[in-house]
Amino acid sequence: MKKANSMNNRLLCIAGAAAALLLLGSAHAAAPGVKGTAFTLTASPAYISQPDGQTVYSWGYACSGGGSAAPTTITPPATGVCGGVMQIPGPTLIVTEGVAFSVALTNNLPTAAGNTSILFPGLSVSSPPTGGVAGLLTQEAAPGTSVTYHLIANSPGTRAYYSGTQGDLQVEMGLYGAIIVLPSTAPAGCTAVGAVPAHYIAPGNSREADFRLAAAAYDHPRTCYDREYLFQFSEMDLNIHNQALAQVTAKAGCAAGTAGCSLEVPTEPYHPAYFMINGRSMPDDMDSNYAVQYPHQPYNGNPHMHPGEQVLIRVIGQGRWQHPFHEHGNHVRILGRDGNLILSATDANSLAGPLQFTTTTTPGLAFDGIFYWTGKGLNWDAYGHNPASTAASTMPVHAACVPDANGYNTGAPTAINFWEWCQDHNKPMQAHPFGDVASGGPVTLPDPNLFTNGAWYGGSPYLGPDATTRFAGPTGTTPPSGTIANSPTGEAGFAFMWHSHNEREITTNNIFPGGMLMMMLVDSREFQIDESN
Amino acid sequence: MFNTRGWIALGLLSAFALPAMAQSFRVQCPTSTITHPNAASNNSEPANIGPGVKGAIKCQQISGGDGYATMGDGTQTYLFSFGPLSGLADIARGLPGTEFPSVFNTVHAGAPLQPGDPATSGTTYNGAVGLVLDIPNLVSIFDISEVGNTVTVVGNSPLGVAVGDRVTISGQDTTGYNGTFTVTAINVPNSFFPANFAFRYTNTTAGLAAVNESATATAGLAPRIDGHVDPRPIMDVGVMNGNIPAPLMAIDEDDEFFLTLTNVGMIMRPDLFEQHTVHFHGYPNASAFYDGVPDASVAINIAASFTYYYLAPDAGTYFWHCHITPPEHLQMGMVGQLYVRPRQNRLTSATTLNAGLVTQQGDLRTACRRPNDGATPAVTTATDILCSNPVPAVLTTATGGGKYAYNDGDGSTAYDVEYPLQIHGFDPNFHFVGMTFNPEGFTDMKDKYFLLNGRSYPDTVSPGPLATQTVDGVMHFSQPLPAIINIPHGGRALLRISDLDVSEYQTLASLGIPMQVIGYNAKLLRDQAGNNLYYTTNSITLGGGESLDVILDTCLVRTTPGDPSSACNTTAVGATIAAGTYYLYTPNLDHLSNDAENFGGLMTEVHVN
Repeated sequence: MKKANSMNNRLLCIAGAAAALLLLGSAHAAAPGVKGTAFTLTASPAYISQPDGQTVYSWGYACSGGGSAAPTTITPPATGVCGGVMQIPGPTLIVTEGVAFSVALTNNLPTAAGNTSILFPGLSVSSPPTGGVAGLLTQEAAPGTSVTYHLIANSPGTRAYYSGTQGDLQVEMGLYGAIIVLPSTAPAGCTAVGAVPAHYIAPGNSREADFRLAAAAYDHPRTCYDREYLFQFSEMDLNIHNQALAQVTAKAGCAAGTAGCSLEVPTEPYHPAYFMINGRSMPDDMDSNYAVQYPHQPYNGNPHMHPGEQVLIRVIGQGRWQHPFHEHGNHVRILGRDGNLILSATDANSLAGPLQFTTTTTPGLAFDGIFYWTGKGLNWDAYGHNPASTAASTMPVHAACVPDANGYNTGAPTAINFWEWCQDHNKPMQAHPFGDVASGGPVTLPDPNLFTNGAWYGGSPYLGPDATTRFAGPTGTTPPSGTIANSPTGEAGFAFMWHSHNEREITTNNIFPGGMLMMMLVDSREFQIDESN
Repeated sequence: MFNTRGWIALGLLSAFALPAMAQSFRVQCPTSTITHPNAASNNSEPANIGPGVKGAIKCQQISGGDGYATMGDGTQTYLFSFGPLSGLADIARGLPGTEFPSVFNTVHAGAPLQPGDPATSGTTYNGAVGLVLDIPNLVSIFDISEVGNTVTVVGNSPLGVAVGDRVTISGQDTTGYNGTFTVTAINVPNSFFPANFAFRYTNTTAGLAAVNESATATAGLAPRIDGHVDPRPIMDVGVMNGNIPAPLMAIDEDDEFFLTLTNVGMIMRPDLFEQHTVHFHGYPNASAFYDGVPDASVAINIAASFTYYYLAPDAGTYFWHCHITPPEHLQMGMVGQLYVRPRQNRLTSATTLNAGLVTQQGDLRTACRRPNDGATPAVTTATDILCSNPVPAVLTTATGGGKYAYNDGDGSTAYDVEYPLQIHGFDPNFHFVGMTFNPEGFTDMKDKYFLLNGRSYPDTVSPGPLATQTVDGVMHFSQPLPAIINIPHGGRALLRISDLDVSEYQTLASLGIPMQVIGYNAKLLRDQAGNNLYYTTNSITLGGGESLDVILDTCLVRTTPGDPSSACNTTAVGATIAAGTYYLYTPNLDHLSNDAENFGGLMTEVHVN
C-alpha cells in the first residue's frame, strides 16, 4: 500500500471519527433491561452495524413479551423493550433473588441453523424445562418451535446467559445476554431506590433522577451503590458471520432435520477484527441507549459519575477470549463473581475481593465491582478553588470544605463540592496565576501552543465548567479547538479511558481508535448526569 | 489495512491553527514546595514520624523519540521509545533515573555529553541533561553612584531584583563598581527614573565617582538554575537513544515527583510529528490532566517539554507507558517500570511495624481503617472500600529497619533484594512496517519476541546494559536492565512483575522456588478485616496492563516462625533452598523462542548464592 492511500485512509477515518463524536450528544449509560418473572425470548437473525461502516449478519435474542422496562427512569424505544426486535447483547433480564422465573425461548433462526437453547450458569433450575427436544447440554428448541426454562436465583449478582447449542458458532453469532439478580431486601444503611437526597442543581437544570435497579448489589451493607453500569465484552470474526450467511442463504427452504440442512461453518482458526462492549465498538458505544441508528444494539457503554459516588460495574466476558479491562482513574473492588459475594473468612462484615486497576474479563464469567473517584491525594485543588478570587461567578468560588471523619466534604449534599477531599482544598497547582486560579503551587504549565488538546480534554486542569471558565476566561485562549466531546463550558468533566489493555483490541478492523474503548466522565455537580437518553 | 491516527490528527488540526513557534525544552525540579517547604530536607527520605506528608522531592527527565534495540537472535529492531535524560549513570547501572533535587539540579561539567551517552563517554553524570544556568537577566546602567559604601544603581529599565539577590555589575568605565554583590534595597527613589528602576548594594571600596550614561555598564542577576536548558545536549543525548524498557522510575510514599517529558521527535519517522505522553498506570484518584491520555488531556508536541506532577500514591508496583495510539506506541516499545516504596521502610528497629501502621491511621490521606485496629477514634466499619492495607488481623512483634513491598504492619512483605521485571512482546513485522513509513495492521499483530525487561533469553542473563548501534553510527544503551535475579542464600527476593504486552496474556513460571503472591495491581492482598490473602503458586498469568508482586523465599524455616524478616534458621534441616541456578520461564512454550530461533524467549535465571 502506498503512502498516498494511507493518508487518504487516515483522512477518511478522521472525518468518520469527527462525525461520530458530533453524534455523541450527552448520552449516558445505566443498566437498562427487562424486569419480570416470565420472559419470552425469540432467537432470530438481523444485521448489526460497526463504526467502520460494516454491517454484520448476526443472531440475537428479541424480547417478545413478558416483562417491563427497568429502570423506569430510562425511556425504552418506541417499540417497547419487548417489541420483538432482535438485539445484541440479548435483553438484560432483571429478576429478584429467591423469586422463580421462566424464560420461554422460540427458535426463529434460519432452519439450517438447527436447534438452539440457552444455558443459565449460576442459577438453579426450579423445575425441568418444558417443551423442546433433548440436546447435548440442555433442552433445545428446534427450528420454529419453543422451549421454556424454569429458574430461580439463590443469590444476587450479575450473571451471563448464552446459547448452549453449537456454542462456538451461536455465541459468536450473538446469542448471549446478561441476567441481573437483585437482592430480595435492601441492606441496612443503603439508600433506597428513589430516595436519593437532593444534590446541587445548577441553574437551568432539574434534579437528577435515580437510575439504579436496586439499593445494593448483594444482601450486604458493604455493597450499597449510587450508580451502575453493565459492560459485556465480546469479539467477532467477520469470516464466520459471512460463511454463516452464505450457507443459510444457500440452504434456505431446506427441511429441518433433513440431510444437509445444517451449517458447517469452521470456527477455527479464530481471527476476530471487531472487539465490542455491549455489542458496539467505539465510538458507537458512547451513543445513547436505544439509539435509533443501532436498532439491534440497544445498550451503550458511556459511564458518568460525580465525585464520591459508589459506582457498581457489572462486567461479563461473553466472547471466547479474555480481555484485560483497564479502568483509568482508580481501582475497582471486586465484590463477587457469578453472584458469589467474597467476604472475609474471619469477619462476615468485611469484604475480601481483590482491588484491581485492570479487571480481566473471562469467557462466561461475570463480576461485580465498586469504583469511585474523589481526587483524594492529588495535592492540589482539582476544583480550582481560589480563596482570593474576585471573579464574577454564579458558582460559589469560595466554597467551604468541611472535612467529615474521613476527610471529605459530605456535610451538605447540596454543596457544589460535595465529596471534595478537604486536605487539598485551596491548594494551588500552578506556580504562576493563570486566569482566576491562585498561584504559588509547584508546577509551571507550558505555553498552550506547545501542546495538542484531546477531544475529551475539558479545557483546563480543573473539574467543572466554572473552574474551567475561570481558568481560561469567559471567551478563552483555552479552552482550545479540539475539545468537542467534553465541552469546557457545559461539562468539563475529568475524562478517563476505560478500555482493553490488550491494546490491539481498541481498534475496529485495523482502525484506531475503536473496539473495546469508552470514556468515563467524572462530572462536577454543576453538570446534570441524565441516564434517561 | 491501515493505521489511522484519527484522534491525533484531530489534534493536529488545532496544532496547525496555533503552530508552536519555537523550541521550548524545559525541566522543573523545585527545591522546595508548599508541601515540602524546607529545601534542606528534601534531598533525602526523612525518618517516618507519623501523620502528615513527609517524604522528599524527586525529579526525572525522559525523552520521547525513537531508537533501536537488539533482539535475542541478534536482529536490530526499530522502536518508538523513551530514553533517559536524567540519571544517565544510574540508568546504565540498572537503577532508576529518579533523582533528588540536589542531584537533578546539577549542571553538567567537563567535556560535553556525546550522542549515545551514557554509553559513549561512560559519564557519571546523573543530573538533568541540558540543564544550564539561566542567561543572566541584564539591564544597561543609566547611572551608578556611591555614598560612603552604599552604591545606588539606576538602570534604563527595571532589573526585577529582590533584596538578597546576587547582582553582577560590569562595564569598561565602572571598574571600581564591578563585581558581584548582594542587593540591600530596592525601589530606590532617584532623580532619573521610577523607583523600581533602581536598587542598592554595599561596596567595600568607598569614594568612587558617579558614572552617568555609560556605554558599556550593565547590571545582571547572577546566573541561576531555573529550569532553562540548552537544547543541544538534549538533542545530542536524547535523539535515537530509546530504551526498552523505558527509564526506570522509583519514588517513596509522600514524595512529590516532577517528571519532565521532553519530546525530541522520531528521527526515523519525520512524517509523524507525534506527541507522546506518560500514563502513570494505576495512579489512584488520578486527575485527567496528568493521566497521560491524550484524548482526555493535553499532549506535548515535538521540541517541547511537559512536566507531570504526582504526589506519590500508596506503595506498590505500578508501571508507565505512552498513551498515544496505544496499540502502536506500546507495541513499538514505549513501556516502562515504576514503583512506590512504602513509608514503612523509614521505621527503625526501635518501632514495631504494627505501631507504625497504627500511627499512620492518624492521617486521613493514608489511613485504611477497620474496626478494632487499635487507632483512635475507633470505627465500626471499614471506611474506604478501595484501600487494601488495614492494620493486620494478627498482631506481630516484627520491628522496622528492613525493606518492604507494602505498609504491611507485620513484616510479611519484607525482602532482601528487589527486581523489577516487565513482560513485553514485539512483533517484528509490525516494527519493520512501523519503520518503513507503511501503515500497520493491528488485527494481524503477532508477537515473535517475548521480552523480560526488553530482552529475550539468553540476553536476559547478560549483566550490565545491552548496547545497540543505531542509524547515527553510535552505540546506545538500548536495554539497560538485565533480568537476572540474584538472591543471597536464605534470602528473599521481591519480584515486581508487570506486563505491557499488547496482544495476549503471558504466563511466567518458577522452577524450584515457589512464588508467593503478596500484591496484585499495586495493592497488598489483604481483606478488609486485616487477613493476609497471599497465595503460593508456581506460575502467574498477566494480561497487558497488569502487575503483581511475588516473593521468592529461599529460606523455608525462620528463627521466628511466621516472621519473614527474622533470620533464616540455617541449623534446621532443609531450612533453605539449595544454592544454585533456577529458572523463571514461560510455560507458553511457543514463547520460548526468538522469532525463527526455537530457543530463548521469555526466560531468565535465578541465582541463589
